[in-house]
Amino acid sequence: MTANRPLRIFYLEDNPLIVFHVEAMIEDLGHIFAGSLASFSDLKASIDGIEMDAALVDIDLADGATGPAAAAWLYERGIVSLFISGQEHIAAEHAAVSLGTISKPIALDEFAAKMELLQIAIRSKS
Amino acid sequence: MLDWVLVLAPYRKDAAYMTSLLLEHGIRAQAATAEDLGDRLAELPGVVVVTHEALNPAAIKVIAQFLADQPNWSEIPIVILLDRAAPARQIQSALTAAWPRSRQTFHQRPVAALELVSGIQSALLTRFRQREVRDYLERETELRLELNHRVKNILASVISIFQMTRRGATSIDGLSEDFAGRLSALSNVHAVAFDEGADEIALDQVVGATFAPYRSQERSAIQISGPAVLVSRAAGTTLALCLHELATNAIKYGALSTPEGHVAVTWDLSPAPDPVLTMHWAETGGPPVVEPTRVGYGTRYMRSALTGLFGSRPTFAFAPEGLRFMAQAPLSRLTQTPRSS
Repeated sequence: MTANRPLRIFYLEDNPLIVFHVEAMIEDLGHIFAGSLASFSDLKASIDGIEMDAALVDIDLADGATGPAAAAWLYERGIVSLFISGQEHIAAEHAAVSLGTISKPIALDEFAAKMELLQIAIRSKS
Repeated sequence: MLDWVLVLAPYRKDAAYMTSLLLEHGIRAQAATAEDLGDRLAELPGVVVVTHEALNPAAIKVIAQFLADQPNWSEIPIVILLDRAAPARQIQSALTAAWPRSRQTFHQRPVAALELVSGIQSALLTRFRQREVRDYLERETELRLELNHRVKNILASVISIFQMTRRGATSIDGLSEDFAGRLSALSNVHAVAFDEGADEIALDQVVGATFAPYRSQERSAIQISGPAVLVSRAAGTTLALCLHELATNAIKYGALSTPEGHVAVTWDLSPAPDPVLTMHWAETGGPPVVEPTRVGYGTRYMRSALTGLFGSRPTFAFAPEGLRFMAQAPLSRLTQTPRSS
């Protein structure tokens, strides 16, 4: 973390309890929580107002199983993402548009490791 | 019936005769040859009809291979037409051994048209039942996946509640009390949602279940009123957890910490189209309100969850006469019920 620039992390998730928890984990790791929305359609509607370096994306959202489409949409805009999902088999089918998957329920170790992965990916891009 | 019959009858015009006979009775049938038998079986017919002349080692082997490759729900009915002079019992036992996992029925030629048609109809019915079992098994697999998904989500929620409760805890007793209270709130709203058996739940049910633990005293310190409103299960869960935070705060520090205190929980809908739901929480008669110096779990959770759910931040007013809370959202945001794939 130390020499690394903090990342602005956005979270696409429709379960407010998990958003609440992940927000705290993001901040504990020294990053910035860039907000959260519950559906892909909300994301498309408000993308211009969100400043993010990376996104965390659930598979099932308030508008259906639109997480993979959202990750692909973000990917086209140059934003890397990670899935956070208990449906790892579905996430694995969309590996091309995402950097990987954090399993749900979330383990802190895995979360921290995947956030470092994000940081490396973003650093090597710039 | 949408199912179809595969006919393997190589002698002269037997196949053509049989397929047209079946068609006359509304049964789709197609003829196979020794060459295309394997491919036709792969199209999964409902019933296979085989005549005596077709029973050569090569064809028996192709059918045996098809039977071995069948999905677990399948035991395809095979109707076999034997010559009158043939050693029926011997053939029967040979085919039973060669073709496991099939439902074989035997007829001796000449077979009357009526007998053949009704035999095949009954075989198709058997097949129909098998396909029903297949649909049932598929549905069960789907349900198991869905259940697994939901359990994972609930466990993820519980872990989040625990981790966030732990952060704010200053003692083991405090931690266990707060954690148990939050789990009960989650459990109570789940019970309501399950009882209603629908994707939407009535707001007064959500509110009622959340306050039920606190309403057992003789006086009703909590007044609840508002029009009938249905919300999605997810919205109902979030609202229940928020109301639980408000209630426990009121019991510890607010109006419900004194015998004279009251809480009014009210909601209202603006007129259609696009009605807006406004929820109020107003405490009166409690000790003088002091704005907390530290933002705790309850406030942070409510801000985070309601901002997501309602699309705008809820407001807290630490009025001297009692805490007030207000949240507002277009009703459409609270009624969206996603259908997971």
